[in-house]
Amino acid sequence: MTTVSAPAAPARRDRKHPRLHRFLHQGGLELACVLLGGLALWSFLSHVVIPRPDRYLPSPGSVVFSSADMLWKGLLPDFVTNTVWRLLIGSGLGLGVGIPFGILLGLNRTVSDMFYPILNFFQSISGIALLPIVMIWWGTSEQTVIFVILYTVLFPISFNVLVGVRSIPRIYINALRTLGASRLQIARDVILPGALPSIATGARLGIGFGWRAVIAGEMLAGQRGLGWMIFTAQQVDLTAQVILGMTLIGIMWIVLDRYLLRPLEADTIQRWGLVQR
Amino acid sequence: MEGNAVMREKLIVEGLSHHYPDEYTGMDIHALDNVNLKVTEGEFAAVVGPSGCGKTTLLNILAGLLPHKVGSVRVDGHEVKGPGPDRGVVFQEHAILPWRTVERNIGHGLEIQGLPAPERKRRVQEFVDLVGLTGFENRYPHELSGGMKQRVALARTLCANPVVMLMDEPFAAVDAQTRITLQEELNRIAIATRKTILFITHNVDEAAFLGDRCFIFTRRPGKLKATVKINLPRESRVWKNAVADPAFTGARDEILSLVREEVRDDDG
Amino acid sequence: MSAAATTFMAGRMGLDRKRMRGIGLGAIPFLVLLGAWELNTFMGWLKPVYIPPLRAVVDAVFTLQEGCSALGILGMHESCLFTNHILSSLGRVGLGLVVGVPLGIGLGVLAGMSRRLSNAMEPVGVFANAISGIAWVPLAIVWFGVGWFTTLFILLNTVFWLVFFNTLLGVRSVPRTYEHSVLTLGGNRWHIISQVYIPGALPSIVTGVRMGIGFGWRALIAAEMIGGNTGLGFMIFVSANEYKVEEVFLGVLLIGIIWMVTDRIILVPLEKWTIERWGLVWRPS
Repeated sequence: MTTVSAPAAPARRDRKHPRLHRFLHQGGLELACVLLGGLALWSFLSHVVIPRPDRYLPSPGSVVFSSADMLWKGLLPDFVTNTVWRLLIGSGLGLGVGIPFGILLGLNRTVSDMFYPILNFFQSISGIALLPIVMIWWGTSEQTVIFVILYTVLFPISFNVLVGVRSIPRIYINALRTLGASRLQIARDVILPGALPSIATGARLGIGFGWRAVIAGEMLAGQRGLGWMIFTAQQVDLTAQVILGMTLIGIMWIVLDRYLLRPLEADTIQRWGLVQR
Repeated sequence: MEGNAVMREKLIVEGLSHHYPDEYTGMDIHALDNVNLKVTEGEFAAVVGPSGCGKTTLLNILAGLLPHKVGSVRVDGHEVKGPGPDRGVVFQEHAILPWRTVERNIGHGLEIQGLPAPERKRRVQEFVDLVGLTGFENRYPHELSGGMKQRVALARTLCANPVVMLMDEPFAAVDAQTRITLQEELNRIAIATRKTILFITHNVDEAAFLGDRCFIFTRRPGKLKATVKINLPRESRVWKNAVADPAFTGARDEILSLVREEVRDDDG
Repeated sequence: MSAAATTFMAGRMGLDRKRMRGIGLGAIPFLVLLGAWELNTFMGWLKPVYIPPLRAVVDAVFTLQEGCSALGILGMHESCLFTNHILSSLGRVGLGLVVGVPLGIGLGVLAGMSRRLSNAMEPVGVFANAISGIAWVPLAIVWFGVGWFTTLFILLNTVFWLVFFNTLLGVRSVPRTYEHSVLTLGGNRWHIISQVYIPGALPSIVTGVRMGIGFGWRALIAAEMIGGNTGLGFMIFVSANEYKVEEVFLGVLLIGIIWMVTDRIILVPLEKWTIERWGLVWRPS
């Protein structure tokens, strides 16, 4: 009978570098490859393949240059702040109106059954589709952009809050009732904490839609924001600025979503969630 | 001399050792150390050991789901290089496909082998009847109880007609009453089909009740500690009688004390 | 599990009266809104330039469709302005689905099988998603000019990534034992893809398609406004520029209605059905 002879013990991998191991395990290597490979491909296409690169695909270098240029002139900070302000005001108003609205509608079963379809309907007409109407009302003004953001944020948040309040188990409310709690106490101790997770989720969704709405709104009706910047840059053939603007839009959203909204949502759900996920 | 021995010994494990790096820390884990065992044709071999002794690693290597570098594993004389239909596996739980009916789950192996539908249907019916699922052919797994699901898993493996059947704690997740029934049923089916079976469990009673021989493993790194032979005719294995039969109780107590040595060591 | 199934069946049977009540109640706000709209026209509070009379919105259909025959609608005759815009928007959605969904599923399954590939594609997808569909419009105009290709590109970009991510998540959530059991039955890679990964990921894939159509439809409308020369988005944009407010209202309402009908009548039932048939099953009870 043949036996396979035992080779030397297998190499002990990464034992001394658990941190490196974790980095590699979580895809750090691939991320680096994609970033470097992407940049290399982009440069190659821009320098060698594409006929008129400054029009069709400006090189990474010229995008960096245009950002330095715009930073120097103070344009970029101006545009970024404008966009962020619009988002803040629009979503602030949307949340401020939508949260109480959703809670009120959710309190009563009949009322919430009544408003569920219409909220769903308005949620499906996106704010962006509404832009032309609002532009007839107020032209290309700040008001138009803010309104579109407000509209876009309002419906997801009220819809979510309505559903959240509705799904609070009756038993909690009844338990407090038997303890002799007043309506106000029930609202404070059950409804509000019970609705908090769905408020958090609705806010994240709403602000996400709102972000898209700011960009679209600025393209059609706004002045001096990131959406406006990429739109006007395209019209005057400054493609480097278009790519710069897109990159900024992407990075800003990732930062906002990953480091602010998601952690906030997760914390709220963990702390206040009646149903632990 | 060799030819005959190879034919008789359906599963041969020689000098099997296994290391693997921990998924998160990268630390080296020594799971199996120089394991040698043989299972002869038609034999029911049970493997018992404390939890974390590498039983599941052993099964995964035998099934070919985990490649081994040190030692040899042969089934019917062929070295194991990957998963294949010569070794059927019954997993712990949740291994039958939820989107297939009972019938299509049981016939899955035959479908993969490319057997024509009428022939397949006939074979499937045979095993549906054998495991007592007649009338449930067109049900989906979520409509079945835990015990019935494991019957489907058993029938699926049998239906593919493997040389060796590997079972990984198949009754660990069912309730105690069902487990007793399933153990007796498995015994009956093993007699009827004369399958060569390697059955992994941490339940000493189960090993003594089902096994012709029982392999006891040490704690990690898993080594073969002892082999206990259970001298109880398979035909007379019924729980009602076994509990009073010295052949069963003697073997069980022996296995138990061997396993407990390992557990006690672990605590100390 | 079977208990849950029974409750579900009972729920379905008892739903009729409840559903009737729901529809009746849900209609009230719509009727009130329509009433207020008519009242506004009657009282003349807000000028027709801002809020057109309901009548004018309905009439706009006939104005846009003047000289169009039933056959002309199907042949997209040039006199059928309104239906042409609807058909070209829907056509793009159809084309976007035909191309984007198989591509998303295919790459999603591949990425679900290979850690390497998914590690490489995930950051790209996260970034592409973060640059919301609309922000791609200017660059798409530079590349493809105004028209069909730009709008289709925006839609594809949205649909593909959502289907891709959901397929990837779906494939990853399929328990490894399913794969192992098919392997030990003698199955090969192809058996695993077609009999384990795709059916196992199906509920998640359907959710991805639903989200893809939802987000894609919004992005498409915006893309048509800025970078298109046909479609409902283009129609409302042009009408707004010409202050034909009744046409704008018509278009906006239709955009909402088309989405709602597709979602409620096709997508939601489809999602429910797949989850019931497959998805619910392996969730530990």
